[in-house]
Amino acid sequence: MPGLGGLAVKVSARIAVCAATVGMAGVAVAGCAPSTSTEDSGKDEKTGTVRVWLFKEVGNAPKQRVVDGVVERFEKKHKGVTVDVRYIPIDSRAERIKGAFNDRGSAPDVIEYGNTDTAGYVADGGLADVSEEFKSWPAADDIDATAKKSVTYDGRTYGAPLFVGVRALYYRTDVFEELGLKPPKTLGQLTETARQIRKERPKLYGLAVGGAYTYGAMPFIWAKGGDLADERGGEYAAALDSPEAKKGIKAYTDLLDDSNCPPARCSQWGGNETVEAFAGGRAGMAIAGDFNRQAMEDGEVKGDYGVVPLPGEKSGEIAPAFAGGNNVGVLKSSSHRTLAVELMKELAGKRAQEELFDAMGFLPTFTDTRRKVAEREPFVKPFVETLDAGTEFVPVSPAWGEIDASLVLPGMFQEIAGGKKNVDAAAEDAAKKMDKVYVK
Amino acid sequence: MSLLAAPPGNGAGGGGRSRRRARPASLQGHRWTPWLYLAPALLVLAGLLAYPIYQLGLLSLLEYTQAQVSGGEPATFRGLGNYAELFSDPQFWDVLLATVVFAGACVLGTMAVGCALAVLLTRVRAVPRLLLMLAATGAWATPAMTGSTVWVFLFDPDFGPVNRVLGLGDHSWTYGRMSAFAVVLMEVVWCSFPLVMTTVYAGIRAIPSEVLEAAELDGASLWRTWRSVMAPMLRPILVVVVIQSIIWDFKIFTQIYVMTGGGGDAGQNLVLNVYAYQKAFSSSQYSLGSAIGIVMLLILLAVVLVYLRLLRRGGEEL
Amino acid sequence: MTAVPSGPVRGRRGLRKPRRALAEAVAVVVAVLVAFPLYWMVLSAFKPAGEVRSDRPLPWTLEPTLDSFRRVFEQQDFGRYFLNSLAVAGTVVLASALIAFLAAVAVVRFRFRLRTSVLVMFLVAQMVPIEALTIPMFFLMRDLGVLNSLFSLIIPHLAFSLPFAVWMLRGFVKAVPEALEEQAFIDGASRARFLWQILFPLVLPGLVATSVFSFISTWNDFLFAKSFIISATENSTLPMALLVFFDNETPDWGGVMAGSTVMTLPVLLFFVLVHRRLVSGLGGAVK
Repeated sequence: MPGLGGLAVKVSARIAVCAATVGMAGVAVAGCAPSTSTEDSGKDEKTGTVRVWLFKEVGNAPKQRVVDGVVERFEKKHKGVTVDVRYIPIDSRAERIKGAFNDRGSAPDVIEYGNTDTAGYVADGGLADVSEEFKSWPAADDIDATAKKSVTYDGRTYGAPLFVGVRALYYRTDVFEELGLKPPKTLGQLTETARQIRKERPKLYGLAVGGAYTYGAMPFIWAKGGDLADERGGEYAAALDSPEAKKGIKAYTDLLDDSNCPPARCSQWGGNETVEAFAGGRAGMAIAGDFNRQAMEDGEVKGDYGVVPLPGEKSGEIAPAFAGGNNVGVLKSSSHRTLAVELMKELAGKRAQEELFDAMGFLPTFTDTRRKVAEREPFVKPFVETLDAGTEFVPVSPAWGEIDASLVLPGMFQEIAGGKKNVDAAAEDAAKKMDKVYVK
Repeated sequence: MSLLAAPPGNGAGGGGRSRRRARPASLQGHRWTPWLYLAPALLVLAGLLAYPIYQLGLLSLLEYTQAQVSGGEPATFRGLGNYAELFSDPQFWDVLLATVVFAGACVLGTMAVGCALAVLLTRVRAVPRLLLMLAATGAWATPAMTGSTVWVFLFDPDFGPVNRVLGLGDHSWTYGRMSAFAVVLMEVVWCSFPLVMTTVYAGIRAIPSEVLEAAELDGASLWRTWRSVMAPMLRPILVVVVIQSIIWDFKIFTQIYVMTGGGGDAGQNLVLNVYAYQKAFSSSQYSLGSAIGIVMLLILLAVVLVYLRLLRRGGEEL
Repeated sequence: MTAVPSGPVRGRRGLRKPRRALAEAVAVVVAVLVAFPLYWMVLSAFKPAGEVRSDRPLPWTLEPTLDSFRRVFEQQDFGRYFLNSLAVAGTVVLASALIAFLAAVAVVRFRFRLRTSVLVMFLVAQMVPIEALTIPMFFLMRDLGVLNSLFSLIIPHLAFSLPFAVWMLRGFVKAVPEALEEQAFIDGASRARFLWQILFPLVLPGLVATSVFSFISTWNDFLFAKSFIISATENSTLPMALLVFFDNETPDWGGVMAGSTVMTLPVLLFFVLVHRRLVSGLGGAVK
């Protein structure tokens, strides 16, 4: 098999590996573990085609129009340059982007990517370090801190934030009115309100929560002063077993209870199931994102819901929310680096972000742009308030992908909700599982 | 594999012909002729399957993640480290046991439903037959992700019709371990029985009618007719279908992943392939994933070889 | 099929009428049960967005809408995806039929060392999780230079359809009486003539049978479609058009159901077309 010898695998390791292989299989085979060169292309062409991958949304046409506009302006500014934009389904991103890392010939120059993937893609050798360009980009000063954190790994910058998604508290205005309730001001009140709704309207879940709804649960941990993991000198260690984190875990799992959302129903729910429960008229409250608005408008709760920031520990506080969203980055293998970085800045620039908000409802990552659009569109106000109050992010480390996929946090919540373990034991076990991944 | 390499002279071939006469002199050319006929198939399989499996064995001995593939990290030799990691995980053994039992139940369920309906098909006229076959083909042709989603919708306590019809209130089907497995089992049987039914039904139709009539005149019950007349004659079909079902059901992924939300409440419904996805593939730990793949390969190979061995002992020629 | 009676089983005379009525009633009830999830899928495709997951799960809708179908068909390049799927599935079905036929002849009509081993070997590749195989296969495709082309889908699907096809066809070839073969050669037929003009038509119904299987498994594949068609989105297949609707945070169930309905229809059509041959054909697998 020709060409399978890895270019980047160190020679000594290769020999060891090949020797072992030959010994084992008893066949002399030229192929060793396949790999791909990680060297930069070394080229920085100023003309030609710049290839871009963006995510294909349901109802992609408005997004496409905005992007077409950006591309048109870009091509006008840079003579002899064409931009080739491809839209890939979000659910195929893992395979495609890995494919692009593994085959330079298929790789685009610029990609859109989920902001929790940053660290992983950097470790995979895929994303180019754009720290210098980012620093000298005037607009970068207006990007909010958490969004900046989401493009940063190990002190270096690997892209520009494109939009941010954040969750707040949706509640049923009709139910609240009938029961004489007010939107809760603290997490404690939230629990009380939820239970009261469930008590007086047994067909409703007070606050729809899910054992697998990690992003809905995180604010509880953060609001109590806990965190998922602590960083010490670039190394992460699980912090789920700290007293503060445990308080947050307890506050959340107390809601996974017959008095609010019975575990038999809610234990397996993820974010979308809680949204569906609320949209379908089965819940008094839900923690849902700005991006869930359409589901609510299509559902039975249309016209009967309001949104406030998820309250924090004390009155007047807002629980730190998880700042999801997407970034735009440049691939290390790009042979048009300068152009690609320019295009990245255009795609994630203020004008494009504002247009994307108007077209798709994606919240801008620039604080000033965000305030501007919030004035036009009152719906996003509670979300912008939540963002302005300060958001949090998952531990930026390649290990997060594995922790997330192996469902460590959902498993913990579900064990507590199902009465299989108490908070202490479950949190400690989950912390152990996380640490096992971190030390790998 | 030499375990099964056909020992000559044991020719208990179905019809009981002697081997020598069964060999038509004219088609037999050079002794390489069969290999010539096999060549295209072997070429495709060797290139696309044997070689990747060889690589799988190799990768399972390395430390090999996406960082090694494209991140410039050196691929280091781990020996049996990946296997040690796997075998030392107590969850692996639980999952393995659950997989074996669940896959076994799926194979039995699929075979039972498929064969029973095939026999039923021979007893009805054209219209009901076509109805059943079309429904079955639809179930077969539905993409697994969609089929699983629809089943989840049907059994949803809040938004599904099943609980309404059965008057079960907000009983949750996927919360209990057994009931979650049971719902998934039903979906698996739903989408895999059509292959068995169609195949076996066609097989029955090919059985000479005199044989079936004779059985009927003897007053043999349906079950007896199946046991002593149909099943032995359908042997070649049943063997293929059973082996394929074992292989498919042991590797079940989509149904469990979609219907139980990635392995059920606190991982109670994990099966091996979902476990492999969570531990290895989702985070690109190819070496650990390869080790799991090799383990699955060995288990399935053992099961299939034992099954074929039993058949041979029962006088069935491969 | 000269040797195998392929007409319906006679001897119904012995079957008493009430028993047949009961059997038909059971068949219809089972058909309805089996079809119900399909009905739910199609129904959900026609329901307005808010009704798909609603508190009142009615088995009908008073406001049927084509919105979901519109979202499916309005996708960029949808027609192209459809043609790609057709090309891949068609090629795989034809190629695997031919290759499997030859292989089946080899393992049935010849006795040679390793015969059984070869048969078991055919199955081995199916025994590992496909995810595990995709990474070595990816590099193989890359080095063959077929990544991003439809070939990168055709070749692996061919490899994965072959084992079942060979095992099934084995039964069909076995069913052709060897006397026929001897007779052909006595009449002076060449080996090629015997293979392609006598044996091949006889097992054709069997080939049709296995092709339903190859068609469905190729048609519905997601994994290869997203692993090997990376940058050339114009070479994507239909499942990629469906995948858009499976978004973790905001799935579009109406789109999923409409897309799946659209994907399932060609398979049903294919089945209806081959159905007669299938039923008479599969019987050949029995001696």
